Amino acid sequence: MRRLFRLPGSTADVARDVRSELGFHLDMRTQELIEAGMGPQAARQAALQAFGDLETIEGECRTIAARGARERARRAIMVGLLHDLRFALRSLRKSPGFTLVSILTLGLGIGANTAVFSMIRGVLLRPLPYEHGEQLVYVRQPAPLAGVANAQFSPLELTDYRQRSRTLPSIVEYHSMPFILLGQGEPRRVQTGVVSANYFDVLGVRPLMGRGFRAGEDQPGAEPVLVLSYGFWQNRLGGDPAIVGKTFEMNDRIHTVVGILPPVPQYPAENDVYMPVSSCPFRMSEFTINTRTARLIHMFGRLAPATTLAQAQSELQGIAITMRAENPAAYPSGQGFTISVASLHHELTSQAKPTLLLLLGTTGFVLLIACANIANLTLARLVRRSREMALRAALGADRFRLFRQMLTEGGLLAIAGGMLGLALAAGTMHLLTGFAARFTPRAGEISLDGEVLMFTLVVCVLTGLVFAVLPALPSRANLVSALKEGGAAVSGGGSHRMRAALVVAQVAVSMVLLVGAGLMLRSLLALQALDPGFDAQRVLTMTLDLNWSRYTSNDLILGFHDRLHARLAGQPGVIATASSLTFPLDGHRRINVPFVIEGQPPAEAGAEPLGDLRSATPQYFQALGIPLVTGRFFTPSDGPNAPNVAIVNQTLARRYWARESALGHRISADTGKTWITIVGVVGDVRHYGLDSEPSDEVYIPFAQLPFREGTFLVRTSADPAVMAKRISEEVLSIDPGQPVANVQTLEEVRGEALASPRLTTSLVLMFALLALCITAAGLGGVVAFSVSERTQEIGVRMALGAGRGEVLGMVLRQGLRLVVFGLVLGVAAAVLLTRLMSGLLFRVEATDPLTFTAMAGVLVLIASAACLAPARRASTVDPMVALRAS
Amino acid sequence: MAGSDLYIGTLDVLILKAVSWGPMHGYGIGRWIRQTTDQVLTVQEGALYPALHRLQRRGWLEEEWGVTETGREAKYYRMTPAGRRQLRTEVERWRAYARAVTAALDAAPA
Repeated sequence: MRRLFRLPGSTADVARDVRSELGFHLDMRTQELIEAGMGPQAARQAALQAFGDLETIEGECRTIAARGARERARRAIMVGLLHDLRFALRSLRKSPGFTLVSILTLGLGIGANTAVFSMIRGVLLRPLPYEHGEQLVYVRQPAPLAGVANAQFSPLELTDYRQRSRTLPSIVEYHSMPFILLGQGEPRRVQTGVVSANYFDVLGVRPLMGRGFRAGEDQPGAEPVLVLSYGFWQNRLGGDPAIVGKTFEMNDRIHTVVGILPPVPQYPAENDVYMPVSSCPFRMSEFTINTRTARLIHMFGRLAPATTLAQAQSELQGIAITMRAENPAAYPSGQGFTISVASLHHELTSQAKPTLLLLLGTTGFVLLIACANIANLTLARLVRRSREMALRAALGADRFRLFRQMLTEGGLLAIAGGMLGLALAAGTMHLLTGFAARFTPRAGEISLDGEVLMFTLVVCVLTGLVFAVLPALPSRANLVSALKEGGAAVSGGGSHRMRAALVVAQVAVSMVLLVGAGLMLRSLLALQALDPGFDAQRVLTMTLDLNWSRYTSNDLILGFHDRLHARLAGQPGVIATASSLTFPLDGHRRINVPFVIEGQPPAEAGAEPLGDLRSATPQYFQALGIPLVTGRFFTPSDGPNAPNVAIVNQTLARRYWARESALGHRISADTGKTWITIVGVVGDVRHYGLDSEPSDEVYIPFAQLPFREGTFLVRTSADPAVMAKRISEEVLSIDPGQPVANVQTLEEVRGEALASPRLTTSLVLMFALLALCITAAGLGGVVAFSVSERTQEIGVRMALGAGRGEVLGMVLRQGLRLVVFGLVLGVAAAVLLTRLMSGLLFRVEATDPLTFTAMAGVLVLIASAACLAPARRASTVDPMVALRAS
Repeated sequence: MAGSDLYIGTLDVLILKAVSWGPMHGYGIGRWIRQTTDQVLTVQEGALYPALHRLQRRGWLEEEWGVTETGREAKYYRMTPAGRRQLRTEVERWRAYARAVTAALDAAPA
């Protein structure tokens, strides 16, 4: 019965078996007939005769047998799989520590990767939620020499581009302004998107309810209409289903609501409501319409069919050059006006991209380290289980079967880890969205959709494969024979080298992560240590935009502010109050004006000195804690009719009066028609961001340069919330139709400015530390394992007189050799990789030697600690016990 | 198979009966059927083999390769537990069928 367990597998096997079976029958039958007295020839004939149509029967048998063989094979696979699964479950249950650690580290690794990928998918990969979003472009007009990233466009420029451009057949205009909305309870300050009538059509946004704007509704004299944003409708109007057709009063006119937007990301800014340009009193003013430098408009467009971004860029560049030649006065050469066309997708996501990619790299590395660790643990388990494996091999389990067994265990771990990871990712979704919202308006589009789940699945499968394949590699050729020899080869050289290689890789990757985290941390510290030039503590800021229809003259504006200051002055808790156009870090765009200096030769036309304009009441500097360098602050006597005065910052003073005092010098912003005397020099302020360089600043008394839209600041010793309420009440008591908005402490504003780098740094640091822990555990495990294997050798050494210290040193050296090797690789990799993140760094080189050294130190320290426990155990080996054990 | 000679299912139940005492090769099963039925149920001998393969595919028989007394390698069929259960059912059904037919044939005119 030598073919006892043989079952036909292939079609050839089946055919051979059938032929042999039928042949046997015919032979036996022939024999029987011969024995009954027939001649051999005749007997053969008779046997065939009795048999029937041999060929047909053979074919029939073959078909049935082949079908049966296939069914059996399928069943065997299912049974094998079930068996494997049951076996894997049992074996994982037998080592709960390993299982738990593996699932946890995998869960964290897969969860982090899933979370980061969901952000990348939602923000970077998903097409824009606008119709043919890939054709939408955003046009900038930078003036880099004036430090302006986007000067935007004036209506006159818009008209020129509309008339001359072929690549952008439908250009859209947009700007955003606060207006006061009346008609629904308290007066409300609403951020209003002011757009051309084709805005929603070009962007391809269909209103959720009602309609968008119709052609002509942006022409002068059109009936005022409004489209509400989804958020405003839901949050402020309670989602009123009958809102379309209702009316609001804005700017002394009745506006009718005609539609509601769907919840789509709004760019460049979130707006509460949208109105056609015809309803905006500023956009339609004589000055704005007829002045080429009245740049307040953002330009969007849709590329003409079969047009590329580059074509649009070069066409617009040509138009811009012509335009500059026709109107040189509007484009001072010293400001370096250019034009740039970028896809809207790029505009929406470019800020988020480096951070998201950094996080993807980080979490990817963490997962790699986790995989290496589990592979390492699996290898150690494999050696411990070598007898069991050898037994199974001896019982006929073939190499493939054993490999499949390991694959099943890896798969189970990966699936469990993946499920944990998905739960983690789902649980932290709102945190992620909040994080991403700091970088991109697309944060709302982040979700765990099908593609993210697919990504997680692929990651699970890959990680499962890694655990199964890596441990099998060292004895790839002779796993079974190795196992049959009691596992000697598995615990021998190959396995050792594989485990050492895994630890070296873990150390190297950890080093890369640590260096990355260290660089981020140093950037953050550098950012935090910067003197912003103001004292943010206990300063309350708020937006105070006076209703333009009521405050029609400078006297009325100043009157309001004077009354507010007078009412607050002397109240308990009020230290200083100030009205101003902007305050530091408030995100207002830069307004800079060219000026001339009295007594200095006039600069080339268009290359005049530039100063950032600030308008401030006398206590502005005390309120913000900006120090006076020389001269004086503004006083109440610097009124509208008093001599024109200005205060400049140190940077400006040093630039133009390096060897003398700036005090008493006069400047003019209108080419000498009126002269402004410099009466003070104050400290520099990082106005546009904590990482921005101080610019040239010119402060003008608010009384001499009042603004209807501005901010109100209070330095207080009282509770800011109480103070905010009191100020709001005072404002309403002066003018019951006057809202106060965006109440924030300056501390909060400063915190916000630091929050993004701080969050990113914390995330990267957290992942680096997690990686370090996993690596330390892996290293400790490898060293401990090798100690347990070398117990006898250590016993012999100690019996021969080696001291405990020597043994300790020997084991430590062994572990640290791996660390040093990994460290060298890690430093090399870090030098290559950290360059990619230099855009995210602030005042620290990507190859900062201090960071590299410090992180190497941290790594060696933690690694030594991880080796110490097994080394101590080795040094306490009792030589007698160790020797007897052999 | 020659359906005119055998009632449907008869061959199957005979095969199962043949292997119910122990593994047999196809030739042995054929010979047993010939001998025990006094050659009454002789069919074309080849028809036995597709039936054997069918029964094997249904899981009533399993194959095993062995060596005959004469030293030849041959495919043996062995009855599975499922086959044994099937045999019992088939025998019951056959007996009931035979009883019914017999009763009908023996009946007096109504």
